[in-house]
Amino acid sequence: MSADEKFFAWLDGELEGAEAAEMAARVEADPALSMLADQHRAMQSRLRSAFDATSAAPLSERLRKTVSAASSNLIDLGERRERRLRPKQFGGLPQWAMIAATLVLGIFAGTMVPGRGGSPVEIQDGQMYAASGLGRALDTQLASSPSGDAIRIGLTFRDSGGAICRSFSGPAATGLACRGDGRWAVRGLFPATEGQGSDYRMAAGMDPNLAALVGSTMAGEPMDAAQEQAARKNGWR
Amino acid sequence: MDQQPSFEDELVELLPRLRRFAHSLSRSPADADDLTQATVERAIRSRDQWTQGTRLDSWMYRIMRNLWIDAARSRSRREKFEAPPEEADRIGTDGTAQAAAELAQVMAAMQRLPDEQREVVSLILIEGFGYREAAELLELPIGTVSSRLVRGRTALFELVGER
Repeated sequence: MSADEKFFAWLDGELEGAEAAEMAARVEADPALSMLADQHRAMQSRLRSAFDATSAAPLSERLRKTVSAASSNLIDLGERRERRLRPKQFGGLPQWAMIAATLVLGIFAGTMVPGRGGSPVEIQDGQMYAASGLGRALDTQLASSPSGDAIRIGLTFRDSGGAICRSFSGPAATGLACRGDGRWAVRGLFPATEGQGSDYRMAAGMDPNLAALVGSTMAGEPMDAAQEQAARKNGWR
Repeated sequence: MDQQPSFEDELVELLPRLRRFAHSLSRSPADADDLTQATVERAIRSRDQWTQGTRLDSWMYRIMRNLWIDAARSRSRREKFEAPPEEADRIGTDGTAQAAAELAQVMAAMQRLPDEQREVVSLILIEGFGYREAAELLELPIGTVSSRLVRGRTALFELVGER
């Protein structure tokens, strides 16, 4: 350790025992070293207080969505103050997570029959598209009206480019598909984890991978039942 | 009631620190927001790789540092042909204009440090990690951390410490 390194290690509280005492005595006896120590302590405290200011700023909308999608007991840092003034009807969950919970819970009333007739996805030019049963479910099913099909639709929303996206879950996987050129491009597909499809967790917490993807894809709020119906009528454009 | 806090609870609690670390590494608050976002997304995707009971903060700092290194590498290749970045364009604080100006000034100074000095200064002087913790996080020998810290803080003092 060089003399400089030793001095700064002492300043940072990294020296112990006799070494620390020896350096303290040296600094005390040397006005130049004392001044250097003071200057560097002042610089560190200036850096800390300047960067501490960043933690007071509200979180970005995108980050709040990502975190809240992954978290079932959300603490909304950016809105904590306003929230105190509002009635707690959503119990701390963002509205869209509540919509998802309601929709998925409603759908659990239906039976789960694995789809028949071919792979639910096809790959073309390196892009995965929904096919057969999955394509039909995305085209026709409404999250608000349980159909008893193997595929269930979760959230419907627009991405930042304006395309309509829908999250879905089946017996083996959950995922997200977005509409483009008259078909559904699959943006993400995640194997179903144990316990999914039978408890509240899937709706409230979602698969964390899917939740992260939904959070980073969604622009604005998810569609409610009426908007979803109108979007279907309009051919998902 | 001795239940361990969940991954999500801990993550939410860490966000202010992660954002501060992102600001000390990044050249603008907008970049810092992007880095924080990418880190949180990566952590959520990779949560299975985190062992409950171990320190989530070190794990997430490491994710952020690695993402930043990756981005810094591709940026340095690109920037050879680009104009220098704008002055801190969007200040990520809701404090006073003075606090925002102060943040912009220290961020600009940190940007002048080489990456390998900046990360050490950031972890130890701003984030408060010990030398050994920082060395483990960066997977470097402790002597390397210590000598980079001396060079980094001395250079930084030349840039901001004149008062």
